[in-house]
Amino acid sequence: MDELINKLKKEVITQLNLEDISVDDINPDAPLFGEGLGLDSIDALELIVLLEKNYGIKIEDPKDGKKIFYSIRTMAEYITEHQKKA
Amino acid sequence: MTAVNVIYINGLGNVSPQKTTDNNHFLDEVNRTQSNRLACIEPNYRDFISPDILRRMGRLIKMGVASSRICLADSGCGMPDAIITGTGLGCLEDTEKFLTTLIRNKEELLTPTSFIQSTHNTVSAQIALLLRCHNYNYTYVHRGWSFESALLDSVIQLRNGRTSTVLTGGMDELTNGSFEITSRLGHWRRKPVDTFELFTSTSRGSIAGEGSAFFLLSTTASHGTYAALTDILTFNRKDSVKSLPSILSGFLNRSGIMPEEIDLAVCGMNGDSTSAKPYKELTDSVKNAGIAAWKHLSGEYMTSSAFGLWMASMIMKHGQVPEAAVVRNCGDRPINTILLYNHYLDLNHSFILIRKP
Repeated sequence: MDELINKLKKEVITQLNLEDISVDDINPDAPLFGEGLGLDSIDALELIVLLEKNYGIKIEDPKDGKKIFYSIRTMAEYITEHQKKA
Repeated sequence: MTAVNVIYINGLGNVSPQKTTDNNHFLDEVNRTQSNRLACIEPNYRDFISPDILRRMGRLIKMGVASSRICLADSGCGMPDAIITGTGLGCLEDTEKFLTTLIRNKEELLTPTSFIQSTHNTVSAQIALLLRCHNYNYTYVHRGWSFESALLDSVIQLRNGRTSTVLTGGMDELTNGSFEITSRLGHWRRKPVDTFELFTSTSRGSIAGEGSAFFLLSTTASHGTYAALTDILTFNRKDSVKSLPSILSGFLNRSGIMPEEIDLAVCGMNGDSTSAKPYKELTDSVKNAGIAAWKHLSGEYMTSSAFGLWMASMIMKHGQVPEAAVVRNCGDRPINTILLYNHYLDLNHSFILIRKP
């Protein structure tokens, strides 16, 4: 899980062009939106594309997004769970 | 509403291949290079834009926002009544990125950021968003007349009495993709050229360039006024039976000026032998005037006349032509009237007349 969390952090930094933020700056349990990294709705779309492109996961129900993208850890858990099912 | 006749240029901001971001210096240190393309000397954008906003901006947006901020600070205007821009090709880097992804991913998995930024009006929109300016906002995309169209609309807005300040700008960026395509069309020199020998080495093609220049236009003069914008004309010579000297004469007549009264002609000559004839006709029409040029400093691009107007405005304020821009010396003659002449591929021609305020 830790390996996936670190990989995700790097991918999020690159995808969202978070120039001033390093892997160590991101708390895996901190909220991605609002507080924490302070991401917004455009970033949410970028993260949806990231999941589909890098992990082959398509989010069918938009309502799930809030839970999946709460933090880096929830994203990692969702990916792991999805990969087990596949 | 009161009709306004005189329009003043009260502020400037310019990001270009020269050191032009500090208005206290005027081409006293020039970037002379051996190349067929010139790239902007970009400022530290964090001085103008916060990092969380900066991360989403493409290069042209950063250049546009930075130059607009320099211009507003220079003029002391916090909130313009209108923002009007001109761009030939818009945010090319993001357009290329978006279209490449579209093809590579077979029209799927498209990210929103580069799409949002790829539209031509993104620069004026971003400036408005950062200023929280809800006023008139317009972008003109008219090839080699894009900046002139923005300027013309600004003049109309100011003259109709509804607005008293307009932030007007012209910007274009050069990407590897656009350079490659336009090279195939023969727009640029095949081999690198000493930029200061651009006008003496006769050959086909110019040097490619880019830049973003902004102007704060106002109906009232300020202590920092650069020049009075007197008139502007765009014309297409291919549609006209009139010769260039006769079009010039008609243009100057509108302001009650004779060709002999032009102290300096700032011309868009670009070293391309196929573009030289109109400039020769123009310089022959204003025999008493000094001649200055700018494209060896900025490169050629669709809105390079914005760099030309920036240079003309600085010349008016400083009262002299920088050595690097002199083509024909005007001696000790005071500079009170400047004619700017530019054409893009002999299709889009324009005159801009500025006078001492």
